[in-house]
Amino acid sequence: MSQNDLVDTMAGLVLFGDLGRPQLAEAAHTFTEEAFPAGQRILRQGFAGSGFYVILAGEVAVRIDGEERARLGKGDFFGEMSILLGEPPTADIVAIGPLRVLQLGGPDLEAFLKRHPMVMYRMLLSVARRLSNANRRRS
Amino acid sequence: MPFTVPEKADWLAKVQLFRGVPRPALERIAERCTEVDFPAGHYIVQQGQIGNGLYLIVTGRAKVVRGDVEIAEFGPGDFVGELAVLDQMPRAASVVAEDDVTCLALASWDLNALIEQEPAVAMNLLRELTARIRSLGQQHHH
Repeated sequence: MSQNDLVDTMAGLVLFGDLGRPQLAEAAHTFTEEAFPAGQRILRQGFAGSGFYVILAGEVAVRIDGEERARLGKGDFFGEMSILLGEPPTADIVAIGPLRVLQLGGPDLEAFLKRHPMVMYRMLLSVARRLSNANRRRS
Repeated sequence: MPFTVPEKADWLAKVQLFRGVPRPALERIAERCTEVDFPAGHYIVQQGQIGNGLYLIVTGRAKVVRGDVEIAEFGPGDFVGELAVLDQMPRAASVVAEDDVTCLALASWDLNALIEQEPAVAMNLLRELTARIRSLGQQHHH
């Protein structure tokens, strides 16, 4: 995807919704675009050494001990929990069909978020919503 | 006796949520914090209400309950009430003082401003919420 098309796609994702064109271009430059075939495992439960991923196109399944718990699609992100906590992923993330993502190496995530507080704020909102839902499911 | 601003800032400096925040910023946050006392058995936040702020527990213990189920217990240095501020949904759970609890309360708009102005606070908050999600998942599991 050309840099311009990539910036256009990113502008439509909630996570990057507050960034202006120059910041989006900088973000596009920081991330690496990657493609995975259907069935590819991107994060592996219990195994360290992973990155942060934002889905550009396609869908992934979240599987714990082989059982599907959730699906994530365009604009959703994964991998941040392991990076932030410094622990291996607690789920497998598997591409359902052809998948395109933006990838950022674990050690670069914190610096990126601090450089872009509005992205961090969007991520915080999303994580807060996830925690609320997890609390609701528990009771 | 109410805490002075420097006393509040001293205390904030020791709390995980404010790790990495420079002293002048801590003093500004301390000026925004209001000391609130909750006798044992009283609600600190009530399920179904609109979120009006974050409560940092200075002394005492509090439990988080949803319906009749106890979800978590918190003590000094922990904070509660942040979710309703962030997702702007009614509070999903109640927090009840187990013994006499003293909190520093930070209003919603002050918390939101703080998250925007102090990336260290946003990062600490993000990390704490992530840890809470993960610990819920593990409780599910075992």
